[in-house]
Amino acid sequence: MARESLDLLQGTLDVLILRTLAWGEMHGYAISRWIHDRTDGVIGIEDAALYKSLHRLERAGAVEAAWGLSENNRRARYYRLTRRGRQQLRTQETAWRRYAAAVSKVLEPA
Amino acid sequence: MRRSLFRLPWRSAQRIDEDVDEELRFHLAMREEELVARGLSADQAHAEAERQFGDMDDTRRYLQRYDRGTENAQRWSDYLGELRHDVEYALRKLRGAPVFTLTALLTLALGIGANTAIFSVVHGVLLKPLPFPHPEQLVRVWSANPQMGSTQSSVSPVDLDDWRAQRAVFTDLGGYWYTEGGSGIDMTGNGDPRRLSAAFVEPGFFPALDVQPQLGRLPREDEMHRGGADHVVVLSYSFWHRQFAGSPAVVGRTLTLGGDPYEVLGVMPRDFRYPADRIDVYIPYATIPDEAIPRLRQVHVLDVVARLRPGVTIERGRAEMAAITHRLSEQYAEDRGWTTATVEPLRDVMVGSARTGLLVLLGAVAFVLLLACANLASLLLARASVRERELATRSALGASRGRLVRQLLTESLVLALTGGTLGVLLALVGTRALVAMSSGQLPRAAEIGLAPSVLGFAVVLSVATGLIFGLVPALRATASDLQSALREGGRGNSGGRGQRMRAALVVAEVAVAVVLAVGAGLMTRSFLRLLDVRLGFRPDHVLVVNFTIGPRDHGSTAQMQSFYAQVLDRVRALPGVADAGAAKEIPFRGSGERMGFVPEGMVVPSGTEPPTAHLIHVSDGYFHALGVPVLAGREFRRSDDSHAPLILIVNAAFANQFLPGRAAVGRTLDIDGEQVPIIGVVGDVRQVSVEESAQPAMFIHNLQNFRAQTNLVVRTRGEPLAMAAAVQHAIWDLDRDQTITSIFTLSSAVGDAVARPRLLTTLLTLFGALGLLIGGIGLYGVLAYFVMQRRREIGVRVALGADAGRVQRMVVGRGLSLAVAGILAGLAGALVLTRFMRSILFGVGTTDPATFVGVTFVLFGVALLASWIPARRAARVDPLVAMRAE
Repeated sequence: MARESLDLLQGTLDVLILRTLAWGEMHGYAISRWIHDRTDGVIGIEDAALYKSLHRLERAGAVEAAWGLSENNRRARYYRLTRRGRQQLRTQETAWRRYAAAVSKVLEPA
Repeated sequence: MRRSLFRLPWRSAQRIDEDVDEELRFHLAMREEELVARGLSADQAHAEAERQFGDMDDTRRYLQRYDRGTENAQRWSDYLGELRHDVEYALRKLRGAPVFTLTALLTLALGIGANTAIFSVVHGVLLKPLPFPHPEQLVRVWSANPQMGSTQSSVSPVDLDDWRAQRAVFTDLGGYWYTEGGSGIDMTGNGDPRRLSAAFVEPGFFPALDVQPQLGRLPREDEMHRGGADHVVVLSYSFWHRQFAGSPAVVGRTLTLGGDPYEVLGVMPRDFRYPADRIDVYIPYATIPDEAIPRLRQVHVLDVVARLRPGVTIERGRAEMAAITHRLSEQYAEDRGWTTATVEPLRDVMVGSARTGLLVLLGAVAFVLLLACANLASLLLARASVRERELATRSALGASRGRLVRQLLTESLVLALTGGTLGVLLALVGTRALVAMSSGQLPRAAEIGLAPSVLGFAVVLSVATGLIFGLVPALRATASDLQSALREGGRGNSGGRGQRMRAALVVAEVAVAVVLAVGAGLMTRSFLRLLDVRLGFRPDHVLVVNFTIGPRDHGSTAQMQSFYAQVLDRVRALPGVADAGAAKEIPFRGSGERMGFVPEGMVVPSGTEPPTAHLIHVSDGYFHALGVPVLAGREFRRSDDSHAPLILIVNAAFANQFLPGRAAVGRTLDIDGEQVPIIGVVGDVRQVSVEESAQPAMFIHNLQNFRAQTNLVVRTRGEPLAMAAAVQHAIWDLDRDQTITSIFTLSSAVGDAVARPRLLTTLLTLFGALGLLIGGIGLYGVLAYFVMQRRREIGVRVALGADAGRVQRMVVGRGLSLAVAGILAGLAGALVLTRFMRSILFGVGTTDPATFVGVTFVLFGVALLASWIPARRAARVDPLVAMRAE
């Protein structure tokens, strides 16, 4: 069903965002760029989905947001990981590695 | 939690919208810059950035709505966090001041606990609706004979039939005959023979009360008429449980009652306890044979409960009853004089005598709560003053005024709720104790319980107390002038306002304590008077055995009389028995039958009724056994039996009222046309109650005019109850089937007779003592605080040469001036309030000078003590220490 695939996608997105923020606080655009660059553009995230995910993570307490100044001196909303976010990242990372390994096994020629 | 590092202020909805807009604008701008850098034109870059983003408008709306939700959740969690913080802080602060906390908790627990307990009782007895459908329609009806001054006389079953036939505004009128220990029936063939407590009911009884049985059915009207299938019985719930273990199979069974078979028709519900708690069975009144109670118009025997039709006022009921009785009094010679009827609400009648006492208790306990609150307020005020510096500091560090107020409020709420919980626990125990203490003294006692509404009352009380008295000091402490508090260098001196407020509170506390103490004092003196009453007989060492001689095996009256005489002889012969006699009604257990008579030489004007007095059936030797002096003539002898001419004994009150100035012995009374000589005069006995002085009474020998109901009065040499088994066996040796209704000591009957005033006295004394204690604590608290605040001043005075006595006098003087103001106010209040106690006081005026003077001295003593302790501490102030404390 569509909902399930959305959940999977959302979970994927969450873990990517959390991993990205583990490097330090960033604003939304920077996160988008970072993921794009790290994956050599393979994973293209829709910006709308990115922001929805960020705000959800904020309410869940995984990230916190504060206004700050960007590299070119503009007001930007910076996100940073909280302690709870770090925990979430750890558990989701493990889950993701196992998931990816399982998928690879299935896809590998026998 | 999320804002733990740097607190962001809460965001408004508009602010949230703007934030989302700005965040998205920033993103687009950055993306456009990136695209332009890659060589797109500004317009192309703009379009491409929006395309890459996705549905911009939808996302904006989504984020804005979502963030508003986040903000709300945040606010709640912040609020709860603060609350938890406040509560933790409050608990820490309260633990840090254990004396204050314990005093406040104790004060509250006592105030609320006593209140809830008393209120539970008042609720059960006075406020809770009677357990019948539409109880407001229920009334009691009596025959009334204005000429005889009789307003609440029982009703003849024959008259009642006419009332029912002629009724228009009544749904039904139900008669019943029940007297405690009097109306009963023997049950045989079901284990040991037992005397059951029975209510004999007329056909209108169940319809008037509008109750349905829990099991089976009620008798039909035709089953309740004489000659019908009237041998039917309905069981009370408690009897059903005790005797048949609640088995539904009991319906349809046959019980042997009074030697006859009765079919069990049904079982009443648990909460049906009318007209009394201890009824075992309901039996049609029609089963009572004419030989026992003749069914005549002049025989007034029934109590009547009636139900008014919906919407009918009691006045219309009264008018109808007056019209009916008036008609009957003109129609029938036997009803002459019985020209009207008395109609009163059932609830008033049931609660009647307990009402004033309960309301006085409620008033007293309300005063206790008032004291408790005043004390709590005073304590909180004192604390607030002490903590002013702390609050000023926190305020200076940025805590808002609302935050501080909430902090203080939390503290007093925590206190109030804890005190309230303790109070409810105390109330649970107290209510149970009250019901146990008042057994038999309160109507509807079985309905008393800690009802939810009562619990609510306690919770509201404790929360309101906390809120109101927490708010005053909280507002005062955070008033605008915090800076000055800081500047004053931490002496926490809030100036005169707090002091004046506390002084006013203490004056009020002392005043309330005085009122309570006066109430307790009056009640105690009244109770002592009551115990001093000369009863007219010696209640010690007397065993009473109550039974009704059964007709079945003894057949004729002569045989019953012979059984009666044999029982007396057997019991008198028992070792350990000094003397024995018997009477149909002993003191505090009935007043006798009303009997008309015409004294010798008196002419009764035509059209008026002859005077009446109580007639009591007694045995030979009754007065000697009871310890009543024979003032003239002699008492009955065994030979004054049915073969001898009828004779009477009268009491002193009778002789004084109807035969004044001359010797009563040897004179005759005309009773129903027969001239009966008086052979003796005996001393007056308090027959009805301890409070009520003796009424004129006549005594007739039971062997001349027989009554089956017997109270055997056995004067023993040792402990009376130790003789109970021997007396019982003496009776059973004569007739194994004779049932015994009850066995008790006469002193316990006297104890029961003063149980209600004793209960009132105990409780009022308790509240009085509580008042003195709380008032004393309050006074002490204020003075102790006064001394603490003035340590510096006192230190200076001592340093300048003031001696200890002078310092002590200053403190004591301040305490006493407050106390005297309180005492004066309290005495004035007591003068007004004790008027409401008039009907429960015996032999003491409501303005009894001894009580008022006594209370003044006691209060003065307490005030002196409460002032002296802080004064002594003041005198010991070391000037160096006091001044260095700055």
